[in-house]
Amino acid sequence: MKILEANNGALTNFEVLDFLRAKGASKDPTRVLAKVAQSEYKVYDYLIDTAARDQTRESINEFLESVESHDLAKAEILNIINIRPTNIVEIFPIIECCDTRFSDEELTEIVEIVKRTLPPPPEDANGAEPTKSNGEEGGEQMETS
Amino acid sequence: MFYLSKIEHTLPLPAPQLSRPIREAIHTELEKLFLDKVIANLGLCVSVYDIKSIEGGFIYPGDGAPTYTVVFNLIMFRPFVGEIMTAKLLSSDADGLRLSLGFFDDIYVPLQHLPSPNEFKAESKNSTKGTWYWKYEEQSYPVDDSDMIKFRIQNVTYPSIPVEQPKESKPFAPMLVTIFEKVTYGGIYFVGINRS
Repeated sequence: MKILEANNGALTNFEVLDFLRAKGASKDPTRVLAKVAQSEYKVYDYLIDTAARDQTRESINEFLESVESHDLAKAEILNIINIRPTNIVEIFPIIECCDTRFSDEELTEIVEIVKRTLPPPPEDANGAEPTKSNGEEGGEQMETS
Repeated sequence: MFYLSKIEHTLPLPAPQLSRPIREAIHTELEKLFLDKVIANLGLCVSVYDIKSIEGGFIYPGDGAPTYTVVFNLIMFRPFVGEIMTAKLLSSDADGLRLSLGFFDDIYVPLQHLPSPNEFKAESKNSTKGTWYWKYEEQSYPVDDSDMIKFRIQNVTYPSIPVEQPKESKPFAPMLVTIFEKVTYGGIYFVGINRS
């Protein structure tokens, strides 16, 4: 076995998910008929629970065009597409030397572009409810117990 | 997280496969060989992306199988240092946590990288397993199975295959990921920045 090119291109989660879907992977019972191996299915099950589930080529292209004006490295753009940060706290660890390269307004702008162009991940309705409600529920439970 | 790697490999095509269209047969053989296997410094092979070229087809004397030289692309799972991912908790013990992505289980969080202040409560007196608790603003949050843990990768190693292993050691892991931890509990974020 000879390795011709160790890195022939990075793939976003969406591209891998799209590839597996094209092979026939799916969530419903017809999955047993597809020519998809068990190990590939495990990757599919992981990816379907991430932000990549509802992304489309058009939304990613739109995001790439909108974010071109900001000075982001390729790896950072890849990470942003994969994670879909919804606020500054989430985007801070993705970008290197974030506080020296970008001001708060620019970061808010990037987050706005993300929210506008990339579709939200599936459990956004439940998981990303304002943290206050979760905190309050937790607090109440603590008091009663 | 995922990369394409171009590989060239020489493989014999077993005689029973000869009745199938050649591209399909070679695709199946490549999948049998590479899927779910770790290649050192390339990562875990997820899938055969496409076949670029097939050459050869020579039959060596004494062999019933034609040998082909195939150039193809593999989708490799290879996280880079500094990447951010989410995973589920697999097990936790006194040395730290072990996380799982579903298709990849060897992600370890050594105890010095857990968010502090924290404490560990063992399950029972003699067992090494237990639960980790994170103390934040006067409250103790347990790290349990329902949490999705967000973390940054610190290191990826490919230990070499041991010749002999002592009996009780854990199964050999060809690819180990160790991490800095940044945990989310139902929406509250702890951002672990530089811990040095």
